Amino acid sequence: MTITENLFENLRLELRRGCLTLAVLAQLRHEHYGYTLRKALAKRGLEIDESTLYPLLRRLEAQGLLTSEWREEDKRNKRFYRLSGDGEQIFVQLLEEWQAINAAIHLTIDNIQ
Amino acid sequence: MELLDRYLEAVRKHLPWERQDDIIAELRANLEAQLEDKEAELGRPLTAGEAEDWLKQIGPPILVAARYFPQQYLIGPAVFPTYWFVLRLAVFWVTILYMIGVALEIAVHTPNWTAVHEGLLHVPEVLLTTGASVTLIFAVIEFMATRYPGRWPALAAPSGEWSPNALPPVEKEAVPGQKPRSYAYAVAEVIFGFVFLLWLLLVPHYPYLLLGPGAAYVQGSPFQFAPVCVQFYWWVVGLNVLQLGWRAVDLLRGSWQGPRRAQRNTMQALGLIPLLLLFTVRDHAWVTLRHPALDQARYGGAMEAINKAIYLGASVVCALAVLQLLWEIGRMGLNLYRKRAAAMR
Repeated sequence: MTITENLFENLRLELRRGCLTLAVLAQLRHEHYGYTLRKALAKRGLEIDESTLYPLLRRLEAQGLLTSEWREEDKRNKRFYRLSGDGEQIFVQLLEEWQAINAAIHLTIDNIQ
Repeated sequence: MELLDRYLEAVRKHLPWERQDDIIAELRANLEAQLEDKEAELGRPLTAGEAEDWLKQIGPPILVAARYFPQQYLIGPAVFPTYWFVLRLAVFWVTILYMIGVALEIAVHTPNWTAVHEGLLHVPEVLLTTGASVTLIFAVIEFMATRYPGRWPALAAPSGEWSPNALPPVEKEAVPGQKPRSYAYAVAEVIFGFVFLLWLLLVPHYPYLLLGPGAAYVQGSPFQFAPVCVQFYWWVVGLNVLQLGWRAVDLLRGSWQGPRRAQRNTMQALGLIPLLLLFTVRDHAWVTLRHPALDQARYGGAMEAINKAIYLGASVVCALAVLQLLWEIGRMGLNLYRKRAAAMR
């Protein structure tokens, strides 16, 4: 990997990090377990590695943004996640922030073009 | 699937023990669901090679497990600026103090090149120990700040209590039109000042450092320096120590760019003391004969000529130093007067 490619990869990961959290919170307004959440996000064009998504769910739960429960489905015990009360509030705030940033970036790009 | 079992066991080994079962159970449920989907899509079980590729794509067990740990820095971004500032200060000052200690030790106890060599050889060890100690202290601070966030506000969030009004004023150029002294220049001044001081302390023990091959001639000559020359020497050493300390303090305070006129004038005024001390010697006899009774007739004339030459030289140097000091004081007074006049308008 060249220095430029490496730099791009680092910036890309940095850019994605916050967006992934927002996408996961958005998707978890409806209950999911890890694998179906990953599939749902991939279906909308947002691929996330297993080794990134599953620990992220744990962290968000530890931060109080998600709640989880073990439940049997299709003869298998699965851990289902959804937004907590705090998570819903923070999701709304983050969404507003993201929309403002997105709009500002579009305006900036349009002005330059 | 046996390979999946082995994979999950390998992940388990790297997980925090109190959460191992919970995490592995969840990971197993997710991966088995994924495996079922893959097999349903293919209409058959995965081959050994396909299973291997799939698990390789998920990642090495140690990395997968590592993602479940909280992000831990040895020294995180909140503490790092303070750490870097303290590290630079500590390394600089420990080096200076160590070298001054070595210089004094050499001057007082073991004035030889071996002692100098040994002293310098220990510098890397001193630097590494200092760096490691500071790093260890800040690693503990980082750990405590992460674990007990409310109790370490000053270091973890140094932006909390500060006022722009408390910032020092912008330092003006010492001489208009000239660039302010850089940090590297100020550090170099201190380092070379120290080297000069070391050289000065070694000169009495190794006269050839000052006189070169002429040292052997002076040692074998019938002349010797009067005791006032020793006093003169120690005054010069003392002034160099003072100047070195002053510059070092400037560095520590971050005021190396500041105007240095007062410092320069003070050093010039103090520099007159050893010169004037020379003139207190009776008959200006700075050089005397080792054996006056034996050598007076033969070398008496030469001794007088040497003393006259020294007197003449010292007088010229002293006069120039006084004139320069008066000139500088005059300029300071004039600047002060101009500033006051400007302020009155």
